[in-house]
Amino acid sequence: MRKLIEFIRSTYVAVLFILIELFALNSYARSTAYTEAHLLAHASAALGGAQALYTGIGRFFRLGSENRRLTARVAALEEQLARYEEAAAREGQQRALAALGPSKYRMVVASVVGNSTNRRRNYLTIDRGRGDELLGGMALTTPEGAIVGYLLDCSERYAVAISILNTAFRASGMIEGADYYGSIHWEGGDARHVILDELPKYAEPTVGARVLTTGFEPYFPKGMTIGTVESFTYNDAQMAYRVRVRLAADLTKLGNLVVIDNLDRDEIEQLQDGEAIRDLES
Amino acid sequence: MYRTFPYIVLFLATTLLQVFFFDRLPLGPWCSPLVYIAPVLLLPLDTRPIVLLGCGLVCGLAADYAMGTAGLNVAATLPIAFLRRNLVALVSNREDNREEGIPSPEHMGRRVYWIYLVLLTGLHHLLFFLLEALSWQQLPQTALRLAASGAVTVGVIALAERLLTAKALRV
Repeated sequence: MRKLIEFIRSTYVAVLFILIELFALNSYARSTAYTEAHLLAHASAALGGAQALYTGIGRFFRLGSENRRLTARVAALEEQLARYEEAAAREGQQRALAALGPSKYRMVVASVVGNSTNRRRNYLTIDRGRGDELLGGMALTTPEGAIVGYLLDCSERYAVAISILNTAFRASGMIEGADYYGSIHWEGGDARHVILDELPKYAEPTVGARVLTTGFEPYFPKGMTIGTVESFTYNDAQMAYRVRVRLAADLTKLGNLVVIDNLDRDEIEQLQDGEAIRDLES
Repeated sequence: MYRTFPYIVLFLATTLLQVFFFDRLPLGPWCSPLVYIAPVLLLPLDTRPIVLLGCGLVCGLAADYAMGTAGLNVAATLPIAFLRRNLVALVSNREDNREEGIPSPEHMGRRVYWIYLVLLTGLHHLLFFLLEALSWQQLPQTALRLAASGAVTVGVIALAERLLTAKALRV
């Protein structure tokens, strides 16, 4: 009780001052509409400022959790955006493919189940056959687009292909960027190289230049990689080059391959074996 | 009691001076001295806080009544009455000021006395003019009014102090 009395004694002047001051301000504020409006506006501003400060302090201490929440939200939106971009890209690709019209080639992925490289006549066996609509004469390439051989015969589930490492293999090849072409064949022995023979002397090959398919054979599309020029010399007649080509495909390490079906092949072959040509040859 | 009468005279004199002289003086809007606060500033230094507050209330009420300002003078005068002891301690660098006598250069020292007068008068005038203007946009004008009016008020209060101390010395 004594403490209470002491407390009241020590604070009553301050309390009285505050009460009278508030009363005076209130009565001054209510004296005219102008003072009432202005004092109310100032009081509101002061209260608003105090409230904003209080809210700001609270917000500062919530920044950590707010930051985590925003980061999670950004991550979710990034993921959503990536999906949209993927969908847009896919749609664009589909539109581009549709604009191209039906493809001239059909691709089938196959796995090698048998392969030889140490004979003069090497063959490959793949796990796709007639059941997958494969036929003889279709090209066989690596997934990177380097030629490996072409199909000779098919069973229901398997197919046998002649390897580029077969002395009976024949195809035409050209130096990238030049219109001159020669004949590709393998001489046996070295499993990493083939020969591009009969390349006209105007072709001017350079070491390292890419050797590509010409598309003259019905089974290999034009522009597929055979290998790169390693060295070249004139042939015996000094009229053409004999180019040693390093194969792009490593035939000693084959796994999955791509079978390429040229859908125009039958039509081309029919024309090439047509009556007009037979008459001319006979 | 021997000290009360001069203060009643001072209160009446400054209030009448305020109402009949300074409020009617054509000094323009930039100079409005508020000399009625003289009793609050010149009460003895050992005056009890409640008496100081009562003095401030009476002076403010009288000025409000005379000037027709409902509470403006009370609102400006009460803070200086309430804060006077603390401000005296502040300007005289003494935490517990037990000095007696009328605030004067003799008691407080010339420098402290003038700081005390200017500080309390300035605080009162600042509150008064800000409450009267109720706008921060007129701050330069308010500052000008504060300087001009405060200078006159301080001069009048210093004069009143001289008269009061002369009278007190005679008593």
